[in-house]
Amino acid sequence: MATQMRLGFAQLRRLPLVLFVVLYSVVSGGPFLWVATMSLRTTAEIFKNPYGVPSPVHWEKFADAWTKSNYSTYFWNSATVVVVAVALVTVIGSMAAHCLARYRFRGNRFVRFLILSGLVLPPQLLILALFQILLDLDLYNTLTGLVIVYVATHIAMTVYILEGFFAQIPQDLFDAARMDGYSDFEIFWRVTMPIGAPAIFTTVTLNFIILWNEFLFAVVLLTDDAKRTLPLGIMHFTGSHQLDVGMVATGLMIAILPIILIYAFFSEAMIKGMTAGAVR
Amino acid sequence: MAVITVDKLCKRYESMTAPAVKDVDFIVADREFMVLLGPSGCGKSTVLRMIAGLEPITSGTVSIDGRVVNQVPAKARDIAMVFQSYALYPHMTVFDNLAFGLRRRDVGRTEIDRRVHAAAVKLGLAELLKRKPHALSGGQRQRVALGRAIVRDPKVFLFDEPLSNLDAALRVTTRNELIKQQHEIGTTSIYVTHDQVEAMTMGDRICIMNQGEVVQIGRPLEVYRNPTDTFVARFLGNPPMNLLKGRLDAKDGVAVAHFAGSVIVLPKRAASSLVRYVGRDVIIGIRPEDLYETAPPGGPVPIARSPARVVAVEPLGAETLLVVALDVSSDELIARIGRDTALRNGDRFDIAIDTTAIHLFDPATTKAIV
Repeated sequence: MATQMRLGFAQLRRLPLVLFVVLYSVVSGGPFLWVATMSLRTTAEIFKNPYGVPSPVHWEKFADAWTKSNYSTYFWNSATVVVVAVALVTVIGSMAAHCLARYRFRGNRFVRFLILSGLVLPPQLLILALFQILLDLDLYNTLTGLVIVYVATHIAMTVYILEGFFAQIPQDLFDAARMDGYSDFEIFWRVTMPIGAPAIFTTVTLNFIILWNEFLFAVVLLTDDAKRTLPLGIMHFTGSHQLDVGMVATGLMIAILPIILIYAFFSEAMIKGMTAGAVR
Repeated sequence: MAVITVDKLCKRYESMTAPAVKDVDFIVADREFMVLLGPSGCGKSTVLRMIAGLEPITSGTVSIDGRVVNQVPAKARDIAMVFQSYALYPHMTVFDNLAFGLRRRDVGRTEIDRRVHAAAVKLGLAELLKRKPHALSGGQRQRVALGRAIVRDPKVFLFDEPLSNLDAALRVTTRNELIKQQHEIGTTSIYVTHDQVEAMTMGDRICIMNQGEVVQIGRPLEVYRNPTDTFVARFLGNPPMNLLKGRLDAKDGVAVAHFAGSVIVLPKRAASSLVRYVGRDVIIGIRPEDLYETAPPGGPVPIARSPARVVAVEPLGAETLLVVALDVSSDELIARIGRDTALRNGDRFDIAIDTTAIHLFDPATTKAIV
């Protein structure tokens, strides 16, 4: 009897937490589910009953978005820009983080300050200057230009995350590799990179998610429809006089798919990277 | 075959006013096991890292077989090092950890296989080759670290406190294992530790360092028996040597020491060097094992007695440590006596001192008076 009462009291104490989790799930998952249902309904059906369940289910909307609405072009543009930018930012960022974490050199602090100051600069502040620079370099309205901008603006966060992790790798590992005859680059490649993999996965995932959804730079620096990325493509369905809510929802579901896949693959490594303590 | 000569070695860091290492000199003979012993921060690891080539040398030289290696990079010195943290690569298996250094040196795959397996068998790691470091116990990791040094078959082994991460029981067995391996392999070795038991049991010779300088070098028992100054006297030995104020005098042509209310006739061999201290204060050192509850058994040993009170009794099982306060002064002494003592806190007794075993130090320089 006493045990049952204790059990009941323990459950009661957990009630606020459970309520919070339920509320949080509804607030964050609800809109997602709503958009998911809308992606399978036509705009007319949605206007008639915004919260209705898909009946009939319009799977053909995904094919239409992909083929008739230029979505495949936007998707591949996004994929190209994001994959190349994430690859470059990971390689450059990890090298910079390795150097800052591992070597004492004159100007070390200044270089760190310079790189990490990128964290506090709002993108709106950079946009005009970037526009002019890309124009001067004939990179305006090109995917290459956008890749360079993405790499430059995401180096700071990448270095910030990786340097913190790399600095925790014991110096003895590097000394041991040096005594074994490995060069500085080999040590980076064979010791830092594999041991730092959880942190690298973290930055890859975060950068991918952020860049995949990036809108501001893309909308300013790309004008050709054939060069637009997915977030701009979704705009295609919204105009000043019409709004195809159903197709916007379908476009959003297509856009979010790679994010879900990336997260499914790397979430464990990402959590490990974010919570990892000393590497022992 | 490798002789290591360290000559006037200095290390100065920009951020520090005093040098971290100052004029360190020693020679490690071929196949010798030299232990660098000292408290934390005394510079012993810095010396080791300068020998390894991991730390730039401010001044002085390190030579291996007569060749100065100051400008030779670490990888070209043919030295293997075992680190305090073992420095095992967490993403590699035991096999890959052992083979890592060999692969860089363009050793053939068959030869790598042979050497790794030979080292694994020697160190009892044969069953663990496919495991990763996180799946190994502390002792096993330590053996892998040792194996990684062995497979390279280097001229010199350097050990940087390799046992300090092990628990007490494992440290004893691993220590014995390491001694055995070093005797079998016979490679010239330098071993850094702050643990005097490791130093005493492992080293052919020990080099005691303090505040960046070498204080004394010698065979372990030699150093223990003849400490060159009060630092060595206190640092080597657990509990440390008791140091008391005393005074030297001459009586009937023989040197005598006054302390703890007693007059102790000093051994004749020391008389000539003591002349200049006659009439002056000295520091008198007595090891805890040279103090007795009653006269020591067997043989006539010159004994002085001093009334004392027991302040604390620490039974350790095999022996008992007594902290006693002398009646004639405020000095407290630690005595190591038999486990069967009946003495308790507050008891009074006449503590017996083996006068042949006392050490004398100059209070101004803290150097031994011999």
